[in-house]
Amino acid sequence: MTQPITLTLDINGRTRTVALEPRVTLLDALRDHLALNGTKKGCDQGQCGACTVHVDGARVLACLTLAAQVEGRQITTIEGLAGADGGVHPVQTAFLERDAFQCGYCTPGQIMSAVACIREGHAGSDAEIREYMSGNLCRCGAYPHIVAAVRDVAGAAS
Amino acid sequence: MTGTDTKTKHGDASDGSSNSLGARLSRFDGPDKIRGAARYALENHPANLAHAVIVQSTIAAGTVRAIDVAAAQVAPGVLLVLTPDNALHLDSASNWLGAPPPDAPYLPLARTVTFNGQHVAAVVAETLEQAIEAASLIRITYDATDAIPDFDDPRAGEGQPMDPMKIDWGDAETAFAAAPVRIEETYRTPREYNVPLEPHGLVAQWDGDALTIWEPSQWIDGMARTYAEWFAIPFDKVRIVSPYVGGGFGSKALACAHGAIAIMAAKMVGRPVKLAVTRPQSFTAFGGRPATRQTIALGATREGKLLSIVHRGDNETSVDGFAVEPLGAVTALMYATANLSSRQNIVPVNTVLPGPLRAPGENPSAFGIESAIDELAYAVGADPLAIRLLNYAEEDPHARKPWSTRQLREAFAVGAERFGWSRRTPAPRSMREGNQLIGWGVAAGTYPVRRTAGEALVRILADGTVEVASSSIDMGTGTYTILAQTAADALGVAPDRVRVKLGDSSLPRAPVAGGSQLANLMTGAVHKAALAARDELIGLAINHPSSPFRDVQANTLVIADGRIAAPRGNGPAVPIAELMRKIGREQIEVLRDTLPEASRSDEDRYKNFTTVATMRSPTDGDYSLHSWCAHFVEVRVDADFGTVRVSRVVSGIDSGRVYNPKLAESQWQGGIIMGIGQALLEEGIVDRRHARVVNNNLADYLIATNADIPDIEVISVGIPDPHASALGGKAVGELGIVGVAPAIANAVYHATGRRIRELPITLDKLM
Ligand code: FES
Ligand code: FES
Repeated sequence: MTQPITLTLDINGRTRTVALEPRVTLLDALRDHLALNGTKKGCDQGQCGACTVHVDGARVLACLTLAAQVEGRQITTIEGLAGADGGVHPVQTAFLERDAFQCGYCTPGQIMSAVACIREGHAGSDAEIREYMSGNLCRCGAYPHIVAAVRDVAGAAS
Repeated sequence: MTGTDTKTKHGDASDGSSNSLGARLSRFDGPDKIRGAARYALENHPANLAHAVIVQSTIAAGTVRAIDVAAAQVAPGVLLVLTPDNALHLDSASNWLGAPPPDAPYLPLARTVTFNGQHVAAVVAETLEQAIEAASLIRITYDATDAIPDFDDPRAGEGQPMDPMKIDWGDAETAFAAAPVRIEETYRTPREYNVPLEPHGLVAQWDGDALTIWEPSQWIDGMARTYAEWFAIPFDKVRIVSPYVGGGFGSKALACAHGAIAIMAAKMVGRPVKLAVTRPQSFTAFGGRPATRQTIALGATREGKLLSIVHRGDNETSVDGFAVEPLGAVTALMYATANLSSRQNIVPVNTVLPGPLRAPGENPSAFGIESAIDELAYAVGADPLAIRLLNYAEEDPHARKPWSTRQLREAFAVGAERFGWSRRTPAPRSMREGNQLIGWGVAAGTYPVRRTAGEALVRILADGTVEVASSSIDMGTGTYTILAQTAADALGVAPDRVRVKLGDSSLPRAPVAGGSQLANLMTGAVHKAALAARDELIGLAINHPSSPFRDVQANTLVIADGRIAAPRGNGPAVPIAELMRKIGREQIEVLRDTLPEASRSDEDRYKNFTTVATMRSPTDGDYSLHSWCAHFVEVRVDADFGTVRVSRVVSGIDSGRVYNPKLAESQWQGGIIMGIGQALLEEGIVDRRHARVVNNNLADYLIATNADIPDIEVISVGIPDPHASALGGKAVGELGIVGVAPAIANAVYHATGRRIRELPITLDKLM
């Protein structure tokens, strides 16, 4: 069980090879083994959304996913959201402008969710945004500003 | 030396200059946070890091008979199994008031168990996964004794009276008995938990007798003191690093047992150790708000004018510690009454020692008195807003001192106007939309202004940029941003030319980021240090032989937009960097504190920054200092199912002068949102058979989600309060939550005719 296996992961457009015990979650692989600390651990049991990443473009909770499950899939974390030019994603800019966070701990997960929420077409109204952003808890209570940030970007895109 | 009178700018915007204080700037720590580049404590991985996992008790009272570690010890990767049998000796530490500790060892791993979920053992292994597996192999047997699960258990008794909480004026009992209108009810709040989204934990590393700790902290210097005392090492050998804190709400101010365990483990294995408290463990690794109950008797005239308040409150505490949730805090402050009596008991039960959670005291206190006054309004047929104005306290009724500022009338007025309160129909169940019963409720809130001296370092660098340094912290409270704004204004540079370094005990010291005091005390310290740095720079500009101002014959100079010039513009306007180069200075560095002249010995300073003993109460001085707010809430209750949704909130808020409205509004809203969760969702559920909180995770301990939160409008009605703080601000962070739960309860009554006196307001209570 504890013999490491070698995994080849496609993370943020780069191929990363890492030796991990098979039971290591994608979240711990990112944070403890690949120095990608932007993805956060708020509960480690699928309840808070802080660990949200994209796997093949869809939102996934990295704490409920084994690293070994996502070989051959495209993983995007908050660190990979920026464009090729290094500029930040419009959702990131909107979060900053709308002050859509305080402590910042839920923020990478919120932003990853928000990007997917807009892409899924679930940002048509404030009510819809609230519903489809409710898998990401924010104890600081930035919700109204998160809705505003998502609305800004979704509105600009449509 | 000529005079360097720089008192032309006070940073209070009153001089009409282009100050950045008061501007709606985005967070300076924001760019790192949105990119995932802000490094939180547990993201530090020193070389050779080992991982620790804690094992908690499964009984609530008794003793540990034996711990079978055999299987765990030989599990792969295990470096150490830590139990009370092999734990290192630790000294007890002084408490946060600085009271000397008992002459007994401190035992972070319990042999005598006093609550379910107490730390009993720990495993250290090469990897997290190995530590988790080995921890599951530990077998603990107990000799259990009877536990008291909560304060409703008859065996809990009445508890201990807290004499310092006694408040009396007039003859409250007699006046109540004689009052034409009397109401008397009991209000209850359950155990509530801080649950910051970043769980607690730390990385501890020893280098000889020097200790480095990466840990989220609301009080670096206070925690460093506790660690130093536990491990009997000098205070200055402890370095805590905490540049970002993923929320705390009161729970990250004091060192906890898991900190001692991690540091001990690091010492024993001779390697750095990371210990992450799991989310379920966090419910008993430190305490949240204790359960409370309070009986309030209001005696009034037939018009609703208060004659007497009799208040009796209890809160739970642990069997071996004192936690007081001051339930009379708002009761004795909000309204004018000639007679008042307040008492409080603490009732020991088998729980972790409760701790501070956003507005400890004021929050449940306001739920009581702001529900009770609403009940009185209905009893006398008065409008709930009108009865509050009828009983408006023109001075602090307890301290008998004038308010420094109290913009509560203005908060009521602007809130009522924006909310549309005048369109409210008074009768319960009178505002209906289809199957939704609509209710409008109002309640007020308050939070005191607490004051401790601060310290700050300001450095003007050769390139004309500025550095500010302090061991104070930013947990989303905006410290990075408002300190940059403060220094920018005092020095006449743009705020983006200022870099603020926080959260490291190697920097100048700071008292606790608690009691909503930090912003005011740190802006005061930075303002003072920055003005001194400016004086020094101007002095050099006037007097230095190579200064371009040598011949200007000015006795002072002005700095604006990063350029120094003669006051009347007669002469050059020289960028700071150019002046620094001409006078050959690498930097100008100034350290200032705001300690009183008479209390500046090393001992005084240590006490000021590592205890709360020097924190001044809101009534220490000629005035009574408080922030105020008025919440107007609309709820919609499903007539069949009793589900309650908050559909609208408008709040008028008086936090004095606001240093950055964008960030302050976020904090007020965040408090209101936490208050909505408190009113409708949050409740630690105790399994009375095992005295155990069973919903110890984020799916079962419900906090508000995005879909629970409507539009919230917060409106600042504050004015600069020169008595409250150096730059005129009052408390912000804890204010917003106070009064939200009663406003919702009052709205639910208006919607349904059902008065819910026990939080949370769940549908079963409305059936
Ligand atoms: S850490 Fe994955 S959902 Fe909370
Ligand atoms: S910003 Fe702190 S939890 Fe969302």
